[in-house]
Amino acid sequence: MGSRRTTHDVAIVAMGCTPFRDHWHSSADDLLVDAVQECVGSLPSVTLDDVDAFWVGTQGSGMSGQTLARPLRLTGKPVTRVENYCATGSEAFRNAVFAVASGAYDMVMATGVEKLKDSSFSGLSAVYPPADGTDVDWTAPAGFSLLAPAYQEAYGVDARDMRSALTKVAMKNHANGALNERAQFRKAVTAETVENSPRIAGPLGVMDCSGVSDGAAAAIVVRAEDAHRYTSRPIYLKGMSFVAGSGAGLASDGYDFTSFPEVVAAARQAYEQAGVTDPATQISLAEVHDCFTPTEVVLMEDLGFSERGKAWRDLLDGRYDLGGALPVNTDGGLKSFGHPIGATGLRMMFECFTQLRGEAGARQVPDAKLAVAQNLGGQPGSCVAFVAVLGSER
Amino acid sequence: MDLTSLEPLLPDQGIDAYAAYLPAYVLTDNRLDPTGPAPAKGPARSVAGYDEDVVTMAVEALRHLDAAGGPLLLATTSAPYEAKTAAGIVHEALGLDPGVSAADLRGHRSGATALDLVLRAGALAAAADVRTTRPGAPDELGQGDAAAAFAGGGARAAALLGRAGHTTEILERWRLPGERHDRVWDERFTAEILAAAGLDAARRALTEASLATVDHVVVSSSNPRAAAALRKALRGTVPSQQDAALERATGFTGAAHPGLLLAAALDDAEPGQTVLLVSATEGADAFVFRAGDGIRAARRGPSVRDQLAARQSLGYGRYLRWRGLLDVQGPARPAAPAPAAPPMHRRAGWKYRLEGSQCGACGRVTTPPSRVCAACGIAGAGEAKVSLRDRTARVVSVTRDHLTTMPEPEVAVVIADVDGGGRLSAYATDVPPGDVTVGMPMTPTFRRLWTTDAIHNYFWKLRPAPTRTRPTEGTH
Repeated sequence: MGSRRTTHDVAIVAMGCTPFRDHWHSSADDLLVDAVQECVGSLPSVTLDDVDAFWVGTQGSGMSGQTLARPLRLTGKPVTRVENYCATGSEAFRNAVFAVASGAYDMVMATGVEKLKDSSFSGLSAVYPPADGTDVDWTAPAGFSLLAPAYQEAYGVDARDMRSALTKVAMKNHANGALNERAQFRKAVTAETVENSPRIAGPLGVMDCSGVSDGAAAAIVVRAEDAHRYTSRPIYLKGMSFVAGSGAGLASDGYDFTSFPEVVAAARQAYEQAGVTDPATQISLAEVHDCFTPTEVVLMEDLGFSERGKAWRDLLDGRYDLGGALPVNTDGGLKSFGHPIGATGLRMMFECFTQLRGEAGARQVPDAKLAVAQNLGGQPGSCVAFVAVLGSER
Repeated sequence: MDLTSLEPLLPDQGIDAYAAYLPAYVLTDNRLDPTGPAPAKGPARSVAGYDEDVVTMAVEALRHLDAAGGPLLLATTSAPYEAKTAAGIVHEALGLDPGVSAADLRGHRSGATALDLVLRAGALAAAADVRTTRPGAPDELGQGDAAAAFAGGGARAAALLGRAGHTTEILERWRLPGERHDRVWDERFTAEILAAAGLDAARRALTEASLATVDHVVVSSSNPRAAAALRKALRGTVPSQQDAALERATGFTGAAHPGLLLAAALDDAEPGQTVLLVSATEGADAFVFRAGDGIRAARRGPSVRDQLAARQSLGYGRYLRWRGLLDVQGPARPAAPAPAAPPMHRRAGWKYRLEGSQCGACGRVTTPPSRVCAACGIAGAGEAKVSLRDRTARVVSVTRDHLTTMPEPEVAVVIADVDGGGRLSAYATDVPPGDVTVGMPMTPTFRRLWTTDAIHNYFWKLRPAPTRTRPTEGTH
C-alpha cells in the first residue's frame, strides 16, 4: 500500500491555454481546438499525430472522449473523458501522466474545457442523478462560506479581521490577474469594492467568489528522459496525489469546517514524493483553488504554508503577495480567471509551467524552482482534492 | 349538575389524545399602502410559513399521537394534490403500520366529519387548512391557517356524551378545481340557514347527552354571522368568549377550525367538565363531551395559548409573496430539482422520518443512512435505524443563502450535530436567518422544501428549539 512517485518520471513539454472569457462566439469545440493548437504549435518537431493518447476533462460540456476527438477530427486515437468535480482538469492530467509513466504510450495529451456561458444562469449548474430530494440545494458559495464562521470560532478571529483577510485574498488575486492577459478580469480592486459587493452567501459577497467563464487548456506529457528531445525547458512532475473524500464530514458528526482533510492528505503524499519536507520555505509559488476567499485562507494551512490559525494573519502581512515570501495565485487565480471547471486544473498547471520556465513576464517569481498546483471540488466536508508539485529540475 | 348522570354513549367513544398546531406567523395588517395611520386593533390571521401546507401541519400536529386502530384521516379544503391522497404522505411521516388505512376528507364540513370518525371509529385524524383570499378581500384577516389532531379509541382527554348532525345543501363557500380562493355567497342568507342547522344539531346532541347546559360552549362556523348568532343563543349562562377571542387571533381556519377551537377548550377544561362543540358549515355537527381525568397528559404538544404567544409578526408583502400572490423576481438560478419516485420510496425512512443508520460496530450515526458507516468505515453494521426527528441538534456552522429560490430574500442553511449522534445539513426555518448562530439548539420540523415539475418535495428542516420546557407538555 502506498502512494508513490511513478516508476518513470514524467515531464510537461508543452502547454496551451485559451484566454478565460465570456467566449460568446466560441463553442467548447472551438476552445479545445485553440488550446490544443497552441500547445502543439509550441513544439516545432511535433504534430498532433505524434500524440499517442488523449484525455479530456469536462464537467458538463461534453460526454465521452469524442468531446475532443470530434472537434480535432482525431483518427484512430484513444481519448478518455474524465470528470471529478472542479478538479476535473487535474484529473485529466493525472490519468495522462499514468499512461506515459506506465510505458503504454510515449506522448500523451491532457486537455480540459468548460463552456459555462451558454447557460443563462449566474453560477455553476450541474445535472445530478434522480434523487430523493433530501439534499440541501446548496449554491457553491453557500457550501464554502461555512468555513468562515467555523474558522473564526476555532481560532478566535473577530469578524473585522476575518473580513480583512478575505478581502485581502480578493485584492491580491485580482492585482495578479491585472498583469495577465489571459485572465477574465484584468483590473485590481479596492477593499471597498470587495466589501460592498452584493451578498451571495453568509459573509461572502460577489467579489469573494470566483468568476464564471469559458476556457480550455492542454498539456503534452512525456517520460522525463525523453523531454529534452522536444524542449530545452521541460517542467518535471515531482509529486502528485488525489483524494476523493468519503463525505463523512457531512454524514457524521465531528468535522469542524476549518480544514479540508482531503487536501491535507493529498498534500502530504505529493510532498513526500517530491522530497518536500518544509513546504513553507521550499515552495517557490503555488496555484491554489481560490473558488471563494475563505477557501484560500484555509488552504494556506492545509498545504503547510501557514501554521494552523495563522493564515489570516500571514495573508494580511503580505506573505502570499506576488512579491511576498511565497506568492500564491500569481496568475490571478480563479478570482481573476473564472472557473471553467474542466479547464481550471490545467490552467493552474499552465501558470506553474510558465513560472518555472521563467516566462511569466511582469508576474515572474524570481528563481522559481518548485511550484504547487492544488485543485479541489465538492464542498467542505465532502470534497475531492488534487495536489501536484512541479519543478524546473528533474 | 349531577355528574353521575353523564354516561358516555359507549365506554371507548371519545378523544384519547389531542394536539393543535399553529404556525409561527401572524398577520395583523393587510394594507397595501402602509404609509397611512395604522388601523385600530382588529382581527389577526394565523399564517403558515412558505414551507408549510396541510401535510406538513398535519404531521406537526400528529407527530406525538398514536394510532388507535382506526384509519388515518386528513380533513382539509386545501389538499396539496388533486387525485393523490395527502394522508398517505402523513402516514409515511408518522411511520404508521401499513395496515392502517389513510384517507383524505375534503370540504368545509370535513373537519367535523373527521372528529366524528375519531369518536365513532377510533380514527387518528388531523384537520388542517391553509386559506387565502384575494388581496384586500373583506375577510382576508378573517381566514387563517392551522391544524388540529385527535386520536380516538379511548377517552382519556374527553368522553363523548352526545352527538348530532344536520345536513343541509347550501351554496356558501365553493371553489372550482385549480382556483385558489373560495367564492362566497351573501353571508346574510347563509348565516340564517347555518344558524338554524347549528341550533338543531346542538339541541339534539344535548338531548342525547341528557344535559340542559354545559361548562364550555365552542362554536365554529365558516360564516362569522352564524358563529356569532350561535354563540349568543347557546352561551346561556356560560360567560366564556374564548372561542370568539381565539378566532379573532387566528381567523377561521377552515376544516381545522372546530378542532382548533375544541383543542383550546380542552386545554382549559377541568376533568369532569362538559363541553359542547357546534360546527356550522354545510349544515352542522354538534358534539357533547365530558373532560377525562387524564386530560392534561392527553395533550401532545404545546397549548394553543402558548403557541399564540410565540408567534412572529409578518409583513403583508412577505405574506403575499409566500402565498404566491405577489410574483417577485428570483435569482438567475435553476429551480431546485424535483425528487424522483423510486429514490423517495427506497429512502422513505430518511425522507419522511429522518432515520439515520446507527453503526453496530462503533455506535455512530450516519446520515443519510448508508451501508457503510461514515465514521468507522465498517460495512454492513448499519442496519439499525434511528430516528432523529425528536432530538435536539446544535449548529456547527451556518450560512445565509442570498440566492435562494424560496420566496424569501435569503434563507439560513445550517450544519448541525444531533444530541446522541448524527449530523444534519438543513434549512433553518421559522427564524430570521441572521438570528441563527453557532451552537444554537434546534429541532426538526417537517416541511415542504419546494415544488418542481408538479412534485411537492417534503423533508425536514430545523427550527429553533423551544426556549423552555413546557411542564404541561405530554409525556409521550
